[in-house]
Amino acid sequence: MRFTLLILLSIFISSCLKLDSNLYNNTNKIKDYQLDDYTGEQDFILDASYAIPTAFINMLSLSSQASGETSATAIKAIYIGDPLKIITDTIILYCHGNKGHMDFYWQRAKLLAHVNGKNRYGVLMMDYRGYGLSEGKPTEEGMYADVDACMKWLKEKGVTNTRLIIYGFSLGTASATELTANPRTLTPSKIILEAPFGSAAVMVQDASQLNMPADYFTNLKIDNAEEIKKVTQPFLWIHGTNDNFLNYKTHGQIVYNNYSGSYKEKFLVDGADHSEVPAKMGFTTYLSVLGNFIRKN
Amino acid sequence: MTAIIKSTFIIVCIYFFQNCAPSRFIKPLEKKQQAASFSFGGPMIQFAGAPIPIPFTTLAYGYGLTNKVTGFGSLHTTSLLFGNLQSDIGTTLKLFEIENKFGLSASPALQIAYNIRNTTGFRVWPSADVNTYFHIMEKPSYIYAGANSWFEFSKYKAHNEIQQRHVIPNLHLGYMIVKPKWQHQFELSYLGLGIPNKPGVVDYIGISGKGTLGFYYCLIRKF
Repeated sequence: MRFTLLILLSIFISSCLKLDSNLYNNTNKIKDYQLDDYTGEQDFILDASYAIPTAFINMLSLSSQASGETSATAIKAIYIGDPLKIITDTIILYCHGNKGHMDFYWQRAKLLAHVNGKNRYGVLMMDYRGYGLSEGKPTEEGMYADVDACMKWLKEKGVTNTRLIIYGFSLGTASATELTANPRTLTPSKIILEAPFGSAAVMVQDASQLNMPADYFTNLKIDNAEEIKKVTQPFLWIHGTNDNFLNYKTHGQIVYNNYSGSYKEKFLVDGADHSEVPAKMGFTTYLSVLGNFIRKN
Repeated sequence: MTAIIKSTFIIVCIYFFQNCAPSRFIKPLEKKQQAASFSFGGPMIQFAGAPIPIPFTTLAYGYGLTNKVTGFGSLHTTSLLFGNLQSDIGTTLKLFEIENKFGLSASPALQIAYNIRNTTGFRVWPSADVNTYFHIMEKPSYIYAGANSWFEFSKYKAHNEIQQRHVIPNLHLGYMIVKPKWQHQFELSYLGLGIPNKPGVVDYIGISGKGTLGFYYCLIRKF
């Protein structure tokens, strides 16, 4: 009897635990954003020719509220460009990966600010709630709300669907795909996914080699492989062939295969690991591929 | 960056390369004899720069149905902490034995997992162990070696992709210290024989990029 009670109690207690909070790698807290002065780990550092004029670096505080939440969360974002020209500019909304904060991704955002020429397009990047100086704790729905909060800001500044391009890298591909497949404030006109997740199920099954349900481990609903089926806008997939974190064949390829919209294009980067795509491609090639895709269609 | 992401996924990857416990009941119990065990250990991974076994814990119980057949069941307690009720239920069969010298046994089992939180993820995988054991100088303690495999019968996996792999083979080598009431079992495994361990979210310690090593300890009380 005592043993049975112990088992029942264990089940009750264990059923309350969740793994989801372990998925978010937001532990690297900072006191302020240092951008070019940041000396922590980065995927690459651009030379001086990629410098952004100070006047074009705009730190933003936005208010984000997910459905069902009773109060808003303050999140931080950076807009690279001239806010007064947003009303006519094309904007790349960059959804970063799972590492820490925007300082880590600053070089990537700067690179995007050079697509088709220096500051040709505006670039907006945000720290999801719980990342960097954004308040709150990360959640999947909160992450989508944070990206949507950026879209609201852009819409207030005059951006329209046709001038919005969404770019997701790694974890950020979840937001990019979700908000393109199920638009909220704005509907991006094009989607770019770098090293995308297929789904949580793919991750679990890749590693276990078994047909094991993802919900053994997480309540996350991230499922780019399914959501991409709803996307009709032009789609560019970029992935390293040596991605040791998200296998390009089991993750990226299925997303690419499941897309059935108006136009798709892929660029596989030979030998590139998960974080190496821009550097292995070469910045010039990277910018050229993105620039051509954005100009097309 | 990848390494940091990987470390955050370690708990998520708690099942990977499967074996959460050492081989059960290398030698069958005597008829009507009972045994309870607690085991600790799992696949070896690089974590924060150091090799560690993933800390699986398991409680198990066995009962001697005959002198040649032992029934057993287990509860994987680490998995339970994360909302998964996992158990293996099976039998150990004595196939051949020369008393106190050498023997051969087999353990067919069912690996059962059920997700408590979402109640959608009930899965069963058959598994089988074959072990041979040797008593050194006819002492009660013995060394053993064997092979084990899980079997995946699903034709498809997520997103209707073809399930490519249906056999997950493992090898193991162990030593059982046998006392009158207590036994101490030490086992070294090579899990996922020949299966590439990359790309993946965990830094497994394998051999030439394949499989992963595993280390286990099990304390057994007979009564």
